[in-house]
Parts: sequence; C-alpha cells; structure tokens
Amino acid sequence: MAGPLAPERTPDTTVDEEHDLDRPWVTIVWNDPVNLMTYVTFVLQELFGYDEPTATTLMLQVHHEGRAIVSSGPRERMEHDTSRLHAYGLWASFQRDS
Amino acid sequence: MKPFRRRGEDVVARLEPAEARIMGLLLDQLEQLLTADADDVRGDPVVARLLPEGHRGDPELAADYREMTESALRSGKADDLATVRAGLPPDGGAVRLDADQAGAWLRTSNDLRLALGTRLGIEEDTEPPEDLSSEEGQQLAVYYWLTGLQGSLVDALVAGRAGRR
Repeated sequence: MAGPLAPERTPDTTVDEEHDLDRPWVTIVWNDPVNLMTYVTFVLQELFGYDEPTATTLMLQVHHEGRAIVSSGPRERMEHDTSRLHAYGLWASFQRDS
Repeated sequence: MKPFRRRGEDVVARLEPAEARIMGLLLDQLEQLLTADADDVRGDPVVARLLPEGHRGDPELAADYREMTESALRSGKADDLATVRAGLPPDGGAVRLDADQAGAWLRTSNDLRLALGTRLGIEEDTEPPEDLSSEEGQQLAVYYWLTGLQGSLVDALVAGRAGRR
C-alpha cells in the first residue's frame, strides 16, 4: 500500500482500448430473473463443452454474484461467444478483462 | 399437458388443444415483434431483451457488434420459430422432436418466456398467480405454463445427454 507521500497514480486515459494488448477480452453472462438455472447450465455445456460440475459452478456464480466470466480470449472470439449466447437468450456481453 | 420426456433419440410431449392454440398465438406475437419496423419498436424493452447489446458502456463497440451479428440472430430466431410452428399440432396432440427440432423449441420457448417475463416485470421472487380472473393473472399463468414446458424439455435433453455417455 502506498504511503501518504507517494504520488497518486493518474489513470492512463490515452491508451486506446483497442491497442492495449496485455489484457484479454472476456465474455460475461449476467443474471436475469427469467432464465432457468437448469437451462443456463445446459447452454454453457452445449456451447463451451464444459463438464456438468464446471457449468453448474458458473451458473451458480451468475445466480449468486450477478455475473460470471464464461470465456476469455481475443476480442473477435468473445464477440462470437456473445452472439452464440444471445442466440440462446442468455444475457451476455463482451468486454476487456478488468 | 404431458411434459417432455425422452423417447429413444427423440423427445415427446402432448399438448391440450387450448395449450396448442395459446402457443400458436404466442408464436404469432413473437414473429410480429421480430419482424416489426425498427422505428415502431425502438425502445421496446422486449425487443431490447431479445436482441441485446453486445458491449456495455462503449456505444461504438456495441454498434459494431450489432451490425456484425444482428441479422444472423434475427434469421436464427425466424428459423427456430418456423420449426416450432411446423411441429406444433394446431388442435393439440403429440409433439415429437429430434435433436435439431428440440434445440429450436428450447430457444423459442425461452424467447417467449423472456418476452412475457419482461412485459410482466418478472423478478426472482415472483410467485405463480392466485387470481386468474385478471388479464395479468392469466398472462402470468401462461408464463408459468411455458416455464413448465421448457423446464421439462431441458430435463429430457439432459437425460439424453447422460444416456449417451
């Protein structure tokens, strides 16, 4: 933890998100009150090939924490994953990993 | 209704005449919503839920995503809807689905639940209706009927997946 005299770090706002190659992109599934828990688990297995315990853990994370990262990688692949989740009606989005 | 269950490679269910008619009406309404002129449904929360933003917080990335994916998402929904309609006995009766057809029923019944759930403001703790005389009570009953139908379809497909191991 920085002491009181350490310079405050100013966030670097000049870095274009597009060109910041250090952080991967992620696909997130958000909680919604309609999608059945069994359905979310089924879709995560179907689309990503997760085994049942992994898919269940992610589903429960969505349910209890409001969101879960279900895949990560290059932006194009995360856009593709988001679109596959949207085809099944899951509430998904992609973003730079934070 | 006899809920979905596994029958060999297929899944089967049986719908009452009234259930089949309601399903047909819901499919018509979903189709109207998805084929409506963009200006007529701008800002409609159901359309926003069925065709969601891909990126939150960056309008440019969200617009790029929409341009790249929305037409495929729409045509996928239209194909699913046509598959469900083709397999729906108009006056009730047996529904028998292979794996591809089951996928279409799964996605379309979910879209119907998302549409109704959004209109009705469904929350995690919403309970099935006690009063069926009000319009909202009836719509809520339809929502829970769809939930039972889709839930049984998921269970039947999970059972089939376990059986293939």
